[in-house]
Order: sequence, then structure tokens, then C-alpha cells
Amino acid sequence: MPALPILPPEIAFQLTTGADLADRERGNRRPATLPTRVPALDRLLGGGLPRGSLVEMSGRASCGRFSAALSALAAVTQTGEAAALVDPGDHFDPQGAADAGVDLPRLLWLRPRALKTALSACETVLSTGFALVVLDLGLARVSRRRFDDAVWLRLARRARFHETALFVLSPYRVTGTAAHIVLSAGDARAAWDAQRMAMPLLHGFTARVFLEKTRAHGVEGRARETHAPLRLQLLDAVNAGRTEENQEKKKIFLEGEEGEVAAAGQVAASY
Amino acid sequence: MRLACLVVPLFPLAARLRGEPALADEAVAVCEGNGTAARVVAATKKARRAGIRPGFTLPQARALLPNLLARPRDVAGERAAQEALLDAAGTISPRVEDGGEGLAWVDVDGLSRLFPDERDLGRALIAAAKLESLPARCGIASSKLAARVAASLPDSPVVVPDGGEAAFLAPLPLAKLDPDATAVETLSRWGLTRVGEFAKLPAAEVASRLGEAGHALHEIARGRDPRPLVPRQPPPSFTEGVELEWPLLTLEPFLGMAEGALQRLARRLESHACGCVRLDVSLVLDPDGCDTRSVDLPAPTRDVKTLLSLLKLSLEGRPPGAAVTGFSLSAVPDAPRRGQLTLFGPAEIAPDRLAATLAKLFALLGEGRLGAAKAVDGHRPERFSLEPFAPPPPPPERRVPKTGRGLLAVRVLRPAVQLEVLVEGERPVSMRALSGDDAGPAGGVRVASGPWRMEEGWWLDAPATRAYWDVELQGGGLYRVYRDETGGDWFADGIYD
Repeated sequence: MPALPILPPEIAFQLTTGADLADRERGNRRPATLPTRVPALDRLLGGGLPRGSLVEMSGRASCGRFSAALSALAAVTQTGEAAALVDPGDHFDPQGAADAGVDLPRLLWLRPRALKTALSACETVLSTGFALVVLDLGLARVSRRRFDDAVWLRLARRARFHETALFVLSPYRVTGTAAHIVLSAGDARAAWDAQRMAMPLLHGFTARVFLEKTRAHGVEGRARETHAPLRLQLLDAVNAGRTEENQEKKKIFLEGEEGEVAAAGQVAASY
Repeated sequence: MRLACLVVPLFPLAARLRGEPALADEAVAVCEGNGTAARVVAATKKARRAGIRPGFTLPQARALLPNLLARPRDVAGERAAQEALLDAAGTISPRVEDGGEGLAWVDVDGLSRLFPDERDLGRALIAAAKLESLPARCGIASSKLAARVAASLPDSPVVVPDGGEAAFLAPLPLAKLDPDATAVETLSRWGLTRVGEFAKLPAAEVASRLGEAGHALHEIARGRDPRPLVPRQPPPSFTEGVELEWPLLTLEPFLGMAEGALQRLARRLESHACGCVRLDVSLVLDPDGCDTRSVDLPAPTRDVKTLLSLLKLSLEGRPPGAAVTGFSLSAVPDAPRRGQLTLFGPAEIAPDRLAATLAKLFALLGEGRLGAAKAVDGHRPERFSLEPFAPPPPPPERRVPKTGRGLLAVRVLRPAVQLEVLVEGERPVSMRALSGDDAGPAGGVRVASGPWRMEEGWWLDAPATRAYWDVELQGGGLYRVYRDETGGDWFADGIYD
């Protein structure tokens, strides 16, 4: 068999070998998890929201659930994928979401009036091909008699079949056995600028996120983390370039921790 | 083939005067461009008598005629006028080609029985255009160029006898053939100035020196037009209907019949690779009368269940008021969105699946309850607008998301929750929701930060004048509340979460 001719260098360097192409394709393959870009959550989730799974995060008002969901939506839409937000409480703020980095044209916002309609809408969007669907149950009561495990199992199955990450925000645990991972947020404490106690300025708050349940496997040889701190700041504090170090030195906690100095903060830019 | 060329001179002006006929006797110039760079495209007779010509700038034209009325080009009006011209030509012959701005080609072969004299045919075309308020001229010949040139001559209609095109075109300058720049240079080097001189050259020699384009030009100069007429295809109509044996009084049996009609419509739409973007419904009522309605869809779809759900919602929302003895369903077609997959980028949602989902959600949630959110300019925190959801195509390679900003978000309360607030001076010290709303704050205030005043729309009848406070309650919870300075009431419009 005659030998193949050797290509001129100016042509050869423009070609890619099959091995290089496979490596490149592996690098661009759909990741198994969707990072939320909230360090506490990503540590507990093992990298991010797993595709094809239902993750529930519960907590009272002002615990950081909504901020975590917006951060996840921002991360997904910035990669170029589309996401959906099922918002029966009509709580979404486009201005705030844009500040958080959400690519608004890639986010489908649904505003159902009733919880039953919200669950039907959620089931419909799960079948479409969105990378992430966030179902924000807000602060409303969810009747366990009306919406029992069967509802959540159905949604979880739909998410698994279509490889969509379903992130459910609820005021208390509602998904029963259907959730792949369950988180809860608590111990929320506001941070105020104590330098101006006559008129303190809200800087942000911290909370703690607990891993209540997971079916995901941890990294071998390493004990799985079960809780992590969640730190959130208002927009102007971020713009002013406050560092974590400065925050730890200057923040004041009204639960009575001593020896800490007030931080300089500014009002939310949401006005 | 015998062709008629119907041309509307000064088409931008004719389209404008079609919408504003009162301006016909005034000195009017239609201009293109902005400000002092605007140039006259066409002018009325009164303006032309004053010396205004196409190409003048508006200041130049106004210098000649200070009271000149200037109008911009009316793009929508010109489109409508072009459609009207084509429709007018279509009343004489079914094969009409859209020639662009104010120009239509008409195949008049076989009309000799109706119009033995071609001049009568030309007059009929001119009269049909006049009914659409378009002053047209007509030329009839066996080649497009000859017909076009004939239409530009006075004393319209002008008929060029069959076979006489070469002699008709011979005295014309070569520019009438509209040759490209290379051909113009070559022909002028050859010393040619007239179409007749060019037509006399041997065809084989012209083809070998000027190529295929030159050969086509030569054929046109000799009165033989190789360009075929490409007739306009009217949009296909998708209508299915049924005349019922007996009147239907209830909804369910009607929906059963309608489902069959929708399935037939869906199959026909599929054969044309399009979806339904609007469903026009016409119901024949007993004993007489008609109920018509339209059902709009957020995206083209052929999904029968979705169309049936929307039809059901429409009939439940506004019942026809009488028994139905027949119906027809017309689907307005639109091409479904196409998606181009990328090799290395993130996957795009299949456009037809997305369209079906949006239509189902529209049927489930109603109008104004889904879409892509858009930030709105203003100060009120609750402001928003919704646009149809049409995500841009994914990038060619998966992007890495930016580092998280760790921003604290606000959960907006829509509508704002009215509060009963106890104050010390201006500062709130205790509050509770008047309606007992779960979302509203309740309890004593631990820290209150404010007031920050917001004012919007002072010129409106109902301006927004608010004094905002950030409050942390003793029982937990961070709220954004405000006092309406106009009425004095307190509201909670956000929760920091």
C-alpha cells in the first residue's frame, strides 16, 4: 500500500486530529450539575443543581431562598441556556434580576394565579427542554392534603426524563420523598451599618443553609458537609467593593455577638 | 409571450397621495433622509413648476419654494400601494409578477378573446389601477424591456407589435439595458452608444467576449427576453368548516365536531410546513345570524389540543347566544421558528416544541401571565413589562458564567400589602397587615432605616410620592415598607429574601 503524502506545514497546522476534537467535545459536553454561583449552596449540592433532579430549599421569609434562586437563574442564562420561573406569588423583580446577572430574554416568567395552575404549568415547562425550572411557592400555605407526594413524584419524574433541574422554593418542606436533595435555610441575621445608628443602613444578611437530605454521593474519603454560611449583600455594598475581610471586621449582629465593628453600607439600589 | 408592464410614475409620491389625496394640488415633496441631509425623491406638479427636482436637498428645495410641504417616505403606505397595484393587475390576468416599487408585469397571453385590441387591454389595466387611486401607465410587448420602455412613453397605453421589439429598442441609448459597470466600459470602448448597434453584433462573438451576462444582455437588445415571468403566488387559505344536520345547543358536542376540523387543518398546515398563528372562527346561528371571533396564539403551532383548549376558553368566555347550525375555522398560517443547532454550544430548545408549550401555557394561564420580563425605566420598584418569549439562539460555544455577586434580592409584593403602623415621630415601631395576609409583616420593629423619598410622575393625576423604610422585625423578617405621602397609608411592597 503506497504511503500517504505528507501535507505541507501551512495546511497541516490548520487540521485537528480526532483525539483533539473528542477532547474539545468532552470539555463542552453538558455538565451534570448547574452551578448556582452561591458558594454555600454549591458546596452542599456537590457542585450545583443536578440535572434531572428535584431540589427543594425551604425556609421562612428573609432566609435567602429567593436570592439563591436568582443566582442560579443568572448562572444558567449566562451560559446561553434557557430557564423558566414559575411564580404563583408574582414576586419576581426584573430590575433586581438584571442586577443579579439574569439574561432576561432567556428567562420565561410564568405568573399563574393559583397553586394548582402553577403545578400544571410547571409540568408543562419541564417537558420543553429548559435547563432549569424554578418553582417559587413563595410564602403561601401549601395544603398537604391537596398536593401530596404523588404531585411531587410526578414532577420529579418529568424532570428526570427531560434532564431538567427543578428547584422548588417553599416556606416549609412539601415535596416529601420526591426530592433528590433537600436544603433548609435558617439563622438569618441582618447586617446594619452601626456607624450611623441614628439612621442605620442595611448592608445585607447572613443565614445558614443545612443539608437535610441527599441522594447524591459524596466525594470518597471526605466527610460530607452538612451546613454552610450564606452571605448576601445589597447591590451598592457590592459595587462599593466591600471585601469579605472588611465585612467580618465591621459587621454588627443584633443577636449580640461582641467585639465586632459596624460596616459601612448603603441602601439597596432597588429604589 | 405577450407581456404588459404597468408602472406608476413617481411611486413614493403616488403612495403618499393615496393616503392624503388633499395634497395632490399642493406643492409637496416626498423626501428621504433626516434633517438638512434629506433629499427630494419626488414632487408634485406645483413643486416641479417651481424648479424642484429629485435629488435636491430639502433646504435647496425650500430656498426655491419656502412654503413647500415636505413629507417622509411612507414605507407602510408604499407596501400597501404595491399590493393594491398587484391586486388591480390581478383583476385582468391571474399571472402577475411583482416588479418592485410601482411596477407590475402582467401575462396577457390568451386575453385576445376578451380584448381583441391590445390597446383596450392596456386601458383596462390603467383603469383598474386608477380605481386603487394609482395613476399608472401601461406598455405591451413581447419582452420585459420593450414593455417597460413602452410604459414610460407618453400617450399610454403603448403597444409594440409582436416581433417589432428589436426595431422599437434600436434607437434607445445603451443605458436603457441596465448593463453592469464592466459591460458599460467594454461597450463604450467598442464605440457603441445605441441598443440597435449592440443588437447587430454577432451573438457568438458577444458571448465569447462578455460571457453569459453579455449574451443575456444581447438577447434583450434583440427584443428576446430570456427572463421568464415569475407569477405571484397568493397565500394559501386554510379553512375547514361543517354544516350541521341539526342545531347544537351545548358546548361539548360542538367541540367534538370542531376537533375533527382542527385535525384536518393541522394536516394541511403540516403539508405546507407552517403553523397556525391565529384562528378565525365563524359560527352560523339558528335561526339566523353569525358569530365571528379570533383566537390569537403566542407562537405558530399545529397542536390540536392547544387549539381546541383556546377555542373552548373563547366560547366559555363569550358564548354565541344561540344554537349553532354550522361553523368554519380559518387558520392564519405562519412559518414556525427554525433553530440551528451548534456543534459545541449549549442545546437550544426545539422551536416547534417551544411554540407548542407557549400555546399550552397561554391557554392555561391567560393573556399577560407569561413571557420574558423586561426592565422598565422608572422609579416605582413594582414596575415591569412582559414581552413575548423568544430566546436568542445559544452561543456557538458554552459560556462560563460570571462569578456570583452574592446579591440580596427583594421578593416584590404585588399588590402591595396595606399595613397598620404605629409610629414614633416618622419612624415605624410596630406594624401588621390589615388583611391578615401571610406575606405581610407583623410585630414590633427592631431596626428601621429611612426615610428615603421617591417621587414619580408629578405631572400625572395620580403621582407616586412615597417615603421608604427598611425594617427588621423583632420576630425576624426584613421588609421594605413605604408611606404613601399623598394618602398617608402604609404599605409593604417587598421582602428581602
